[in-house]
Amino acid sequence: MRDTADILRLENLQVHFPIQGGLFDRVLGRPSGAVRAVDGIDLTIGRGEIVALVGESGSGKTTVGRVITKLAQPTGGNLLFDGRDMSSERGASPLRPYRRRVQMIFQDAYQALNPRHTVFDIVAEPLRSLRLVENDAQLTERVSEALTGAGLNPPGDFFARFPHELSGGQRQRVVIAGALAVKPELIVADEPVSMLDVSIRAQILQVLVDLRDKHNMALLFITHDLPLAWLIADRIAVLYLGKLVEIGSADDITYNPRHPYTVALLNATPQIGGDADRGKLPALQGEVPSAARVPKGCRFHPRCPLAFDRCRQEEPPANEVGPRHMSACWLAK
Amino acid sequence: MTENIVQYSPRGRARAIKGFLRQFLSHGGAQVGLVCLVFFLIVATMPNMLVGPLQTAINATGDFLVPPSGQHLLGTDEVGRDVLNLVVHGARISLTIALLATVISLVVGTTVGMTSGYFGGWVDTWLMRITDFFFVMPSFVLALVITPVVLEVMGRGGDILGFRPSLFVIIVVIGMTSWSFVARIVRSQTLSLKERTFIDRARVVGSSNFGIMVRHILPNLVPQIAANGALVVAGAIYIETSLSFLGLGDPLQPSWGTLLSLAQRAGAASAGAWWYLGAPGVCALTVSLSFVLIGNALDDTFNPRRRAIP
Ligand SMILES: Nc1ncnc2c1ncn2[C@@H]1O[C@H](COP(=O)(O)OP(=O)(O)OP(=O)(O)O)[C@@H](O)[C@H]1O
Ligand code: SF4
Ligand SMILES: [Mg+2]
Repeated sequence: MRDTADILRLENLQVHFPIQGGLFDRVLGRPSGAVRAVDGIDLTIGRGEIVALVGESGSGKTTVGRVITKLAQPTGGNLLFDGRDMSSERGASPLRPYRRRVQMIFQDAYQALNPRHTVFDIVAEPLRSLRLVENDAQLTERVSEALTGAGLNPPGDFFARFPHELSGGQRQRVVIAGALAVKPELIVADEPVSMLDVSIRAQILQVLVDLRDKHNMALLFITHDLPLAWLIADRIAVLYLGKLVEIGSADDITYNPRHPYTVALLNATPQIGGDADRGKLPALQGEVPSAARVPKGCRFHPRCPLAFDRCRQEEPPANEVGPRHMSACWLAK
Repeated sequence: MTENIVQYSPRGRARAIKGFLRQFLSHGGAQVGLVCLVFFLIVATMPNMLVGPLQTAINATGDFLVPPSGQHLLGTDEVGRDVLNLVVHGARISLTIALLATVISLVVGTTVGMTSGYFGGWVDTWLMRITDFFFVMPSFVLALVITPVVLEVMGRGGDILGFRPSLFVIIVVIGMTSWSFVARIVRSQTLSLKERTFIDRARVVGSSNFGIMVRHILPNLVPQIAANGALVVAGAIYIETSLSFLGLGDPLQPSWGTLLSLAQRAGAASAGAWWYLGAPGVCALTVSLSFVLIGNALDDTFNPRRRAIP
């Protein structure tokens, strides 16, 4: 929160995937529904801010990231970048200015790298296609700079390597170098360390934090790991079944959670804030419902230990529970 | 700094290519196929040096239908031409037709298959409808339809790119009837490639659809295209032989198929002139078999996992 002006603002963002009904459904005229992967979220990311998006598997984290990086089209709401609505832009050349400012890091670095391209070509690709360099000398310089920034030293040693000749950590560094080469203002990192050995995670996280510290890049850090989010992020947004249930500073979320779901997540991870008083709640029961059949009322009510009548009927609004702290629960006031 | 690109990239690639060649050449089928192929390619590139100019009824050197002897290693035909001379010159015609037809078929098939699989939707629907049309269209029928049209437009004389019109038609017909096979394979491979994360990454880093197809999908299709390309050549030789056998070839530029057809018409089978039918037949068979062997070896080398499963 170095600079209060937001770089990215999501307003009531929705991504619904239509369900193709089977032949039976169509013959019987059954309505085919939709997977409500992202179901109306409001979120802002400031310049140079690290925001963690936390949620269980299937909560819609990747889909949010894909909308921001324009790999998926929102079905509703707005995606505002630096005050400009980007939600309906498409096509490689109209998006070029946007892509110079927003980049992405992928969960599975092995899958994210074309097996037939060398490291040099991989890192050079954004510089070429986004027309960020004028000649080969500049290109080589920016590629070297990016590889160094991602911790691959000396960069020249990696130019001719193919992805399969690298270790998992080095591959993720190549992906990071590709994003870094662009010098973007926002990077979406979708579970960037979840596939890596624990021993390498800290180094990669350090590279990501350095991006912010040295280049003032904002980072949307997508993870299912709340302690990790607390470690790296300035603010944490908790996603449940396509909706943000709580947003607050990393410390507020960890030490003063105001949504039963956040509390349950924290109870499942005793490593952090173990002594904080957040009320004694039983552990989460049941499975996350499918995004194709979102429960009525508060979508968390079937699993919420505190649920009461109102929760089953009416959806709770986003309640301001403190400075820059929001909780979508009837009990949070 | 600039030399780095020039220096480093090819070195990594050279290493990869060397490894590939070592694996490919250790394949028994590939060795047999390559030896046969190299032999026929040498024969096809210098027929005049090996057996002198193509013989016609006017400059024929032997008696009618003489069995193989020291003077005519593969005997003679019904007008006294040396069969070895005809077969060696036929190699050039047959291989050129097959290779050119394969180039047409690979270019068209890859373009259509990749476009279809990559864009999906109505583009896919329509392109696949066209592909299916060509898939079921017998080459013979197409040849019968196209030949008179081309001959009408071009006239019988002269040549197109060094080919007499009827051979040009054969090349086009083989190309047109074999690309659909390539298109289907390329399409299904493209469908799975485009779901890979590196395509998402390419999009995020600003690559256009064209750039993604050319730089990301196409290089990953090379194994399939190479392996199936070899099979297409084998098929092309087969189609060429059968079209010529049916009389669509050109007697002035005889391919192996044309020779078979002439032999048939001269009654070589009933006259017991086995050399006249056998020589071009064995050649066509050997060449198409060597391409099949090479194609399978390429397929094995590119998909090492398949070798484990018999
Ligand atoms: N292209 C799609 N078509 C249909 N449904 C989809 C599509 N992409 C995602 N979904 C559904 O949307 C929901 C959210 O998916 P998403 O991948 O965003 O979750 P996630 O939070 O990233 O999960 P994970 O932690 O497993 O990666 C899931 O129910 C998923 O099945
Ligand atoms: S609104 Fe009700 S069901 Fe939802 S989290 Fe709050 S108490 Fe639980
Ligand atoms: Mg995900």
